[in-house]
Parts: sequence; structure tokens; C-alpha cells
Amino acid sequence: MTPDEALVATVRGEWGRLVALLLAQFRRLDLVEDALADAVEAGARTWRRDGVPDRPAAWLLTAARRRVLDRLRAETMAARKEPLLVVDAEASAARGSARADPGDLVDDDVLRLVLMCCHPALAPDVASALALRLVVGVPTADIARLFLVPEPTMAARLTRGKRKIVTAGIPFGVPDATALPERLGVVAQVAYLAFTAGYAPGSGPDLLRADLSGEAVRLVRVTLALRPDEPVLQALLALLLLQHSRRDARVDPDGRLVLLPDQDRTRWHLDEVSEALDLLERMPAAVTSPLAESYRLQAYVAAEHATAITAAETRWDRICRHYDALVALNPSPAVRLAAAVALAERDGPRAGLDALDELDAALPHSHRLPAVRGELLARAGEPAAAVEALDLAIARCGNDVERDHLSRRRAELVAGRE
Amino acid sequence: MKRYVILIAYRPWDWASATPQVRQTYFDAHDAFQHYVDEHGAHLGSAALGDADTATTVRTAAGDTRTVTDGPFAELAEQIGGYYDVELPDLDSAITAARLLPSAYTVEIRPVIRVEGYDPQ
Repeated sequence: MTPDEALVATVRGEWGRLVALLLAQFRRLDLVEDALADAVEAGARTWRRDGVPDRPAAWLLTAARRRVLDRLRAETMAARKEPLLVVDAEASAARGSARADPGDLVDDDVLRLVLMCCHPALAPDVASALALRLVVGVPTADIARLFLVPEPTMAARLTRGKRKIVTAGIPFGVPDATALPERLGVVAQVAYLAFTAGYAPGSGPDLLRADLSGEAVRLVRVTLALRPDEPVLQALLALLLLQHSRRDARVDPDGRLVLLPDQDRTRWHLDEVSEALDLLERMPAAVTSPLAESYRLQAYVAAEHATAITAAETRWDRICRHYDALVALNPSPAVRLAAAVALAERDGPRAGLDALDELDAALPHSHRLPAVRGELLARAGEPAAAVEALDLAIARCGNDVERDHLSRRRAELVAGRE
Repeated sequence: MKRYVILIAYRPWDWASATPQVRQTYFDAHDAFQHYVDEHGAHLGSAALGDADTATTVRTAAGDTRTVTDGPFAELAEQIGGYYDVELPDLDSAITAARLLPSAYTVEIRPVIRVEGYDPQ
């Protein structure tokens, strides 16, 4: 491994732990991240010259600690106040480095960091950006690309989040056992938001940023490693792995969207599928959290797709059962739309169309609803009505690649009629 | 310790139309809140406020004239009805305390900050 590769690997693997350790010691979110960034820069220079140190993460931690202490000293000089502050920090730095086996304590610190970033007092988009930045070390530019905003906008969002944490006094701590499951539910929702950001693009040519969705999977992995028996994290990781396993098959070489039945199933990541199935197997049968149950049911649906050898062999009967349970738990329009699609596969397009009729009022701006209706009308042998529905879908669709897909389908239908 | 001002928004007619029994649940909730604050931090101050229709607004108009007007008469469903000024360890404890207040309230937790460069006499 070259020094540069070693540095990238250390940053990728250890960032969250380093941030957590520095925060545990100094409680200064405003200094910690800059200090660590400086340490990485210093590492890039020094490691090229002197070689990779024996313990790269410890090297970065020491360098970052020195920088925080420098900043604290500079603050004290500037203010000529509170000289005890630096003495305190130095004393606790000495204690920190003397700690013999920080294993468990470090894990606690990482959990503190995750819970701090995913605090319910932070807006979900702010929380997910902070968690990706501070826990898994994703560069700001990549988080901006994931959420389809300019980099300065994302940098400002991160700054606002950190300021809120410091000013509002969001704790770097773990709540008691009664409150923890609810807080881990917030972590799950924050991670899921980051994951779907990579798969649900707004507009433009950058259709899939699935590599970046993988960073959200990493966030869930980190958290699950700390709380391995938490159902909401088990179910969410299973769901994410199953969806993520199809990333390479979702776009063809020309950058066009490939729908599930047409995907080349040999391009699915089967190792991720089997990991997800193991997770679902390990989950307790009875789960009290509705959020965990909802993730599990969605994962069951995804698992049916993942384990069907061909699209034609998909067990739609079982998928419909999972959707019935999901609708009972959460009768949102998006869930009912997905359930209607499954129903059409099991009982034919007419059954699906009937189920869609209840959704128009709830989804007045959705392009998916008329797109699904158009497809089902085409299958039901009503091409004129199908084209009309697709026209509405095309008018409502904000994403280039999806609109392109709808237009091609429309052209096929028009050609078929002539 | 961090200092927070906890602002209470409520609908005046909820209180005006409350039975003595309901009013007692409000008093009990405030007692529980104060008890939690005393146990985990410090109660620096608090007050219940007259309704917005008893307010007086002083504002600078054209030039540097300070005009005085009646009310704000904000046409809001809720209005600020009181505040607590407290010290607590962190936002989580402030949230726990706020959850003890009457459920009819909407409660806003604001951190108290030190204004850079200003030292009150």
C-alpha cells in the first residue's frame, strides 16, 4: 500500500472513531473536525517522506490532539482568561493517551457521536449530512452530490448543524435504556434518508449515485456493530443491502434506467443478498417497533425479488401478503401505490387499476401514479387511454432519465397502434 | 450546565374554559416541571404573561420616532403565555423537562447565549 492509499484507508475506516475520541476528550465540535482535517493533511506530507507509521490511526489522533491543544492555547492567549481550560485539556489528554485498553469506551464514544448527529432536534437532512461527514468521513463534496445540492450549500448545512449542536447543547451522550430504542429509530430514519437520496434523484443526468448510497449502508453497519440486537437496525440493514445489491443492473451502458423485470440478474451482488437474508433470519419473530416492522416487511418484499431466479418466477402472492401487512401498518399513498402494482401482477391489470382509483386525490403531483396507470392500461388492452396517462406522467416527471424511459414507452404504444 | 429559556405557547381559551379539575392538572404539570429542574439544574426565573391583547408595542417608525401601539393582536391560534429561565445539563434534559409541562402547550426551548463584546454593568 502506498502512503496515500494507507491514508485514504485509515481515514475511511477510522474517521468516526477519531472524531468520537477527540470529542470525548475535548467536547469541542468546532475544533475537532478542523484539527482532524489538518492532521490528515500533515499525514499526507509526512507519510510520503517517512513512510506509513506502525499505527496510522494513533498517529492521526496524536497529530489532531496537538492541533486542538494549539487552538485552545491560542484562544487562552487571545482572551487572557480561563487559563485553567488548557491545563484541564492537557491533563485529560495525558489521561486519554495513558488509557490502556480503550476498546469498550471507544465504542461508547462512537455511539455517542452517532446519536449526537442523529438527534431529533436536528432537521433530518441536516442530521443525515452530519452523520455521513462525522461518523463515516464522507467528504463534503460527495455529500453535496448525494443530496443534489451545490457544495457551498452543503458546507453551509453542515456548519449550521454543528452550530445547532453546540449552541442548543445537544449532548454527546447515550440516553438511558428506555429512551435508546426510540433514538436508534431516529438514527435509522436518518440513514435511510441518506440512502434513498442516492436512488431517488430529482433531475439531471446524474441518475444513480449508488456508490454514495453505499456510504449510508456503512453508517448503518457502524451503528449495528454497536447495538447488534437492535431490530430496527437489523431490518434496515437487510432492506438497504437488498436494494443496494441491484445497483449495477439498474442502469444500462448508455445510462438508461433498467426496470426490475428487465435487469440482468447475474449483475446483482449475491453476497449482499445472502447477508440480508441472514439478518432477517436472525431477527426476533415479534418486533414491537412499528418502524422496525415496516423496514422488515419492505425487506421481505425486496427478498422475494432478490431470490426469484427469473422475473417470471417472482412469488407475487407472497409479495401481496407482505404489502397487505405493510398497508395495515402504514397506509401511506406511496405504500398503497406499490401494493397496487403487486396486486396487478398477481390478479391482472384490472385489479391493479381499481386499486389505483383511490389514490388520485392523495397523489395529485406524482408522476409515478399515471406512469403505473399507463402501463396497466396498456396491458389491459387500452392503448389510447394508456398514452393519455403516460402524457400526464411525462409532464409531471422532473428526472431526465425517468422521463426518457416514459417517452420511449409511449412511443412503443403509439407505434403498436399504427 | 447550559441555560435555556423555555417559551410556552398556548391557546388562551383552553385555559379560560378549563374546569377546576383541568386547571389542577396544569398546576400539577408545572409542579412536576419545577421539581425536575430543581433536581437536575436550577430555576433562574419564570413568569406567566398577560394575553397578547393586553400587550403594548413600541416600535421605531419613519425617522427615529418611537411609536406606541396597542397589542400586537397577532391572529395566531397560539400565543406566548409564559416562560421559564432554567439551567440544565443539556438539551435532552431540557426536552425531558418540557415534556412534563401541560400537554396542551407548544413549548419552544431556546438556548441562552452570551453576546460577544457586551458585558452588562
